[in-house]
Amino acid sequence: MIEELLQIKNDAISLILSTQTTEQLEEIRIQFLGRSGKLNIAMKQLPKLTPEERARFGKTANEIKNILEEAIINQKSKLKNQNKNKEKLSIDFTTPSIPPKIGHLHPITQAITDTVEVFKMLGYQAADGPEIETDYYNFEALNIPKDHPSRDTQMTFYLDDKEVQTNTPGEIILRTQMSGMQARVMEKMEPPVRVIVPGKVYRYEQVDASHGFEFWQLEGFLVDKHVRLTDLFGTLDYVLKALLGKNIELKFATTNFPFVEPGVDTYIKCTVCGGIGCSFCKNSGWSEIMPAGMIHPNVLRNVGFDPKVYNGFAFCIGFSRLVTLKYQMSDLRLLSNPDLRIINQF
Amino acid sequence: MLVPLSWLKEYVNVTLDPRTLGDRLTEVGLSCEKIIKTSDDVILELEITPNRPDWLSIMGVAREVAAIENKKINYPKLKTNLKPKGDILPLKIHPNYKITPRISGIIINNVKVGLSPKWLVEKLEQLGQRSINNIVDITNFVMWELGNPIHSFDYHRIEGSEMWVKQSAGGEEFESVDNIKYKLPKGAIVYEDKNKIFDLVGIKGGANSGTYDDTKAVFIVVEVDDPVLIRKASQKLALRSDASAIFERNVNRGGTIDALRRVTDLILELAGGNIASNLIDLKEEEFNPWKLDLSLERLEFVLGIKISEKDVINILDKLSLNPKKLKGNIIQCLIPTYRNDLKIEEDLIEEVARIYGYNNFPKTLPTGQIPTDEIPHYKDYLLYDKAKNILTGAGFSEIYTYSLVSKKDLEENDIEIVDLIKVTNPVSLEFEYLRPSLLINLKKAYKLNISNFKEVNLFELGKIYHGKTLETAKEPYYLSGITNSLNFARVKGVIERLISELGLADAKYDISLSGKTIIFDMNFSDAIKNRNTKKIFKPISKYPPITEDLSLELNENVKVGEVIEVIKKQSNLVSDVSLLDIYGNTKTFHIIYLDENKNLTNEEVGEIREKIIKVLKDKFNARIK
Repeated sequence: MIEELLQIKNDAISLILSTQTTEQLEEIRIQFLGRSGKLNIAMKQLPKLTPEERARFGKTANEIKNILEEAIINQKSKLKNQNKNKEKLSIDFTTPSIPPKIGHLHPITQAITDTVEVFKMLGYQAADGPEIETDYYNFEALNIPKDHPSRDTQMTFYLDDKEVQTNTPGEIILRTQMSGMQARVMEKMEPPVRVIVPGKVYRYEQVDASHGFEFWQLEGFLVDKHVRLTDLFGTLDYVLKALLGKNIELKFATTNFPFVEPGVDTYIKCTVCGGIGCSFCKNSGWSEIMPAGMIHPNVLRNVGFDPKVYNGFAFCIGFSRLVTLKYQMSDLRLLSNPDLRIINQF
Repeated sequence: MLVPLSWLKEYVNVTLDPRTLGDRLTEVGLSCEKIIKTSDDVILELEITPNRPDWLSIMGVAREVAAIENKKINYPKLKTNLKPKGDILPLKIHPNYKITPRISGIIINNVKVGLSPKWLVEKLEQLGQRSINNIVDITNFVMWELGNPIHSFDYHRIEGSEMWVKQSAGGEEFESVDNIKYKLPKGAIVYEDKNKIFDLVGIKGGANSGTYDDTKAVFIVVEVDDPVLIRKASQKLALRSDASAIFERNVNRGGTIDALRRVTDLILELAGGNIASNLIDLKEEEFNPWKLDLSLERLEFVLGIKISEKDVINILDKLSLNPKKLKGNIIQCLIPTYRNDLKIEEDLIEEVARIYGYNNFPKTLPTGQIPTDEIPHYKDYLLYDKAKNILTGAGFSEIYTYSLVSKKDLEENDIEIVDLIKVTNPVSLEFEYLRPSLLINLKKAYKLNISNFKEVNLFELGKIYHGKTLETAKEPYYLSGITNSLNFARVKGVIERLISELGLADAKYDISLSGKTIIFDMNFSDAIKNRNTKKIFKPISKYPPITEDLSLELNENVKVGEVIEVIKKQSNLVSDVSLLDIYGNTKTFHIIYLDENKNLTNEEVGEIREKIIKVLKDKFNARIK
């Protein structure tokens, strides 16, 4: 009798192990462990046995039932895993992706957004102003009188007002620098001042790889009761590292703009050649990136601030230069070229 | 400005290697653009800022090097006392101090014009100058050495020994020493004798008065000219000279006599002759050094660091600014006349800071209060970015194009040249007008890209420009785009989503067809003027909606929007109607019925449906499919 039970067990185990699907496994379970399964049928012989045999038989049958149940559970999880693997294998991971149809932002937008964000951290707000500007705001309010030699570096586009000659010719121009916004903003407010102004400027220049007649700049200025040259150095350092990475190397030099005193120029070690010298940095190893300085007392006076009480600094970032430096673009003109083969890279 | 190291070393003991020297010069403001190594010398190429006429001379650069290296300057020894010997040659000068505040000069007779010695030829060659003759070379040499332009006239070519300083009337002919003919603009400074203009003062000498091989007596002039007049004339003539570059930066008004003595010494040595006039020095005022005070407290206040009194004085001394300690922590400088750029205390602060070395300063951040009120001219960049991000999310890429367009561009876009703004001096006719629409460049950009991409979706958020007059000119931001892969409904969907995201209550926009593309155009500045960003949450309905589709055959002239409006009006239980499909004249509408307060019954929906169908039949002659 016991032999019969063992036979059932062996048959069941071999069948369980050979199943390929959970459905097959369920069939086997019903066949052996179901209400009218083989084990139960065998148990029906129980009353025919002697009490001693009965006890042994019952115990064995229970053991076998437990063994088979365990075998079925094991087989079930094995099959599940197999199926999982099968599903995975059915994906060819080398299939090329299909990108979502999301467009690209122009690199100058990205640079402006990043920069506005960095300055926001320092408490600056962004302003916007006219590109069609007067000679007063663009030059004279900035301590640059007519026929000042420094105007040479900012060759100007004049605008035509032939139909209504109400203004002095040459009085209205396309702004050559964002600095004109210093006076426009400050004459309408009181210190403390922390302002940045991104925008497009125009210069009458023949176009080449590093010069355009339209390009993008950011002017920034800060006025308060006690502003130090070291604050300017710290701000330039913080901002450029936030924009271009902690590892950049900077150096400062003296320069002259009529609207700052002392004047500061900021150079960054060439990101392309690392300072050895290449065509990108005109072999100097350094690129001029952020002219700045302490605001000239005359400029403060022009906007109605008392230079004995207030002082401050101003700076300028050339976005076109910043972007070309950041992405190692050899030609400024790439930035006004609407070719998607360029824009899709950003 | 080219500066040969060997020449520099004649005045100051240079110990730094050329590379370090170049870096230090850049740091103090004499931007070193290039270091050129020649067979036996090193030449520094320096860029000179507009505030420093003195740096357009080797001596000026030497003074900076002396300050950097903490060394003394060796000035050339001046011998002549400018006293005449022998016969006096008369010359009557009629000055005009308004335009030429100072004329210093001397006449030297019996000179031998000839070749220059080798050292002089070589010195000028190093600066890229060609040798003319000994006299002219000496004047050029001394200009480069000391920074005052000097001219040598043939005394005998000044007719009647009488000359006038005048401004040109305009239109006069003038032939320069290098035999180029010019028509003079109005207002240029000229020297005239009784018959002719013989010098374009401060810019170029005349062919009729120069120093030639047959010249026997020379009139050497070192003058001071009005910088603005020199600049204007040289701009109008498009004629720049080494002299005009110095004059327009405001020449050393106190340096004329030293320059004259130096030239005279060299002429007497190299060309012989004798001084044949008393010193001429015509001026209305004295050109003396001026006092300028620097407060040590103010210095520390502005710089943010303390530099010891001793170091401050040493820096100022090495810059030849003659510092003197006064009471109350004031250092008084006596500013040499070649430093026109030093006028206010801040200028002295820069002098100390730059020689101390900008790169030796610590870095701090401003400590003051952060302004919290909205600033004048505030621009909300977040809003602009949001608009741009919605468009890129919808598949549009952003372009930046030139604001300046051509007349041809305008014609091709059927834009009349009315109220447009034109540049008087365009770089080329391609860039003459400020664009009155972003679509001009978007269409061009589309054409550019279509050869490389099947789907082209572009937008630009930039300014357009228009105005009857310049004073009333407007430059609003526009948001415009072009696409060949989104249909009308999708473009409209993008714009509507943008409007709702930004809460643009009064946005107006155009969508139109242009060839195979759809273009859109929105006055963004106007659209963002009135924003409604308030959003109120509406709870999700507890009861399920009932949806059904209704297919209608409609005449072509029936507008879908009107049909939807009419369906919606039939009951407030119609919660939404959309267009599901178009097939020929058959349009299928998707209707959602919803009662927020209870479950809708089929009977209720049936009643509304009957009403809808009846009104659509009556109003649009719609046929139910």
